[in-house]
Amino acid sequence: MNRASLHFLLAALVAIALPLFMRSGTLASEVLIFAMAAAACNLLLGYTGLLSFGQGIFFGLGSYAAGLTLLHTSVPLALALVLSAITGAVVATGVGWLSIRRQGVYFVMLTLAFSQFFYFLAYTFKDITGGDNGLLNIPRPAIGPFSLGESWTYYAFVAVLFLLLFAALQRVASSTFGRTLLAVRDNEERARAIGFPVRNFKITAFAISGAVTGLAGALHALLIGVAPLSNIDYHMSESILIMTIIGGTGNLFASVLGAGFYVIVSDLLSSIWPRWLLLLGGLLIVVALFMQKGLWGLLERLVEALPMGRKSSINSSIEPPIQPESEGRGI
Amino acid sequence: MSTQTPILAADKLSVRYGSFLALSDVTLSIKPNTIHSVIGPNGAGKTTLFHALTGRVRASSGQITLDGRDITHVSDDKRVPLGIARSFQVTSLFQNLNVRENLRLAAQGRNPLQALAPWRGVDPRDHALAVAGEVMERLELTHVSDRAAGELSHGQQRRLEVGMAVAAKPRLILLDEPTSGMGIDDVEAMKALIRNLGRDHTVLFIEHNMGIVMNISDTVTVMRAGRVLVEGPPAVVRDDPEVRRAYLGNMITGDIA
Repeated sequence: MNRASLHFLLAALVAIALPLFMRSGTLASEVLIFAMAAAACNLLLGYTGLLSFGQGIFFGLGSYAAGLTLLHTSVPLALALVLSAITGAVVATGVGWLSIRRQGVYFVMLTLAFSQFFYFLAYTFKDITGGDNGLLNIPRPAIGPFSLGESWTYYAFVAVLFLLLFAALQRVASSTFGRTLLAVRDNEERARAIGFPVRNFKITAFAISGAVTGLAGALHALLIGVAPLSNIDYHMSESILIMTIIGGTGNLFASVLGAGFYVIVSDLLSSIWPRWLLLLGGLLIVVALFMQKGLWGLLERLVEALPMGRKSSINSSIEPPIQPESEGRGI
Repeated sequence: MSTQTPILAADKLSVRYGSFLALSDVTLSIKPNTIHSVIGPNGAGKTTLFHALTGRVRASSGQITLDGRDITHVSDDKRVPLGIARSFQVTSLFQNLNVRENLRLAAQGRNPLQALAPWRGVDPRDHALAVAGEVMERLELTHVSDRAAGELSHGQQRRLEVGMAVAAKPRLILLDEPTSGMGIDDVEAMKALIRNLGRDHTVLFIEHNMGIVMNISDTVTVMRAGRVLVEGPPAVVRDDPEVRRAYLGNMITGDIA
């Protein structure tokens, strides 16, 4: 079995295991929704090397797009979801197009500025977005013959979409496009020198990431029946980034781990101690200092420590590397 | 070969960085299927000339033509499909990707928009993959094809650096100091490689190693302070009094890199 099918199998296992181990269908749905958002973020961060603080924009706009469509029109649910994905993609294309004109720190600052900009935009246009209160009473219509009213049936719907999107993102990541993104991440200057129009690749990565994040935002609004202002807040961008980094940026399944960990641990901690964010901060410091490959890296190390897992990790090396200088480059 | 139309020509090419004139009125013409070297002391503008020819740096004035077509305002990535490829003085590889993938990407760079389709997988019969295989054979890198580029020895990395240019199947290859930092054995291998490339490509290279330059070049251009000092066959350049005075003098046989 190759790596991609193994990771898909793991993702499917997560989708099946959540209902067995969790009491709340809402929380389980939240795990998969944020797993989509984190995987989309990973496409930018892990594959392209772009640290985007704009993910919250796409997530929030996806929520609003779905909410507004379902509140004011009677289009079917599927169309509302497609609309939010398109909204996410279009806005991400714009934000990406402008932000990638600068590199490194300035790129990050631009996405941060856009994040603030869209937050205040949503805050200011209260008539459309509901401002501070959010967009309330978003209905959750049935999809075809299936009513999604009950939380676990909605979970099943989210799980199917999650697996479809996960497979699609895997396809993107392993395509010539995804492999070129890895090259851009590794050495952008060289990628341009061998003929790739790097900017077009980055913008396309943004569009795909924005579409998936927008869809995740829509599913979240449907989940809680509200498109809250917090979905487009800068803090949302931050949370999505933290999930992605905690999980690890090497592969897409790592983001599922990161999202699951973040959502479940936040839920546990918040019921124990109101200052739980402090603990999460501490955890992030530990990840940054000691486990840069995230939870996935930890898992890999555990598997390798097992007598069975060791065999598969041995390959190629005939003569020892002379210059083991393969640390990833920064932002 | 005196009246052949040049494959690449620069006409009064100048590059200005702020108030510093890095390249001033350089006129150069590269004849097809020749090995043409550019030499000169540090700061002579050799690398800037390369940057301008490959489009990485915009020319402040002057014109660059490829087969008579004006490419002065064509961006660097768009010059690759036109048949220009380069290697870098400071090795610039995809360190975390393996050798085969490095070369596959370089070959794909000829058709970059094909790679923009996010649903398109890499077929085992992929053209770019086949080219990568050919180049690995030619550069004797097949045995390390699955190693990350960052794990190769310095000599292997320099060969791969040249291979990245070769994989684009260019008509004109620009090599920026291909032997930089190499040990004596690797230098000989690189010399053989460049000579070999000269059979089916036009090669323009910057080099400090006079042994290589005088040995395998058809034409040598000597630069100093952003200008072309002398141009001609190696024997003529070697004996030119002005070149001897200005640059070569005591280092005509040495490696000053």
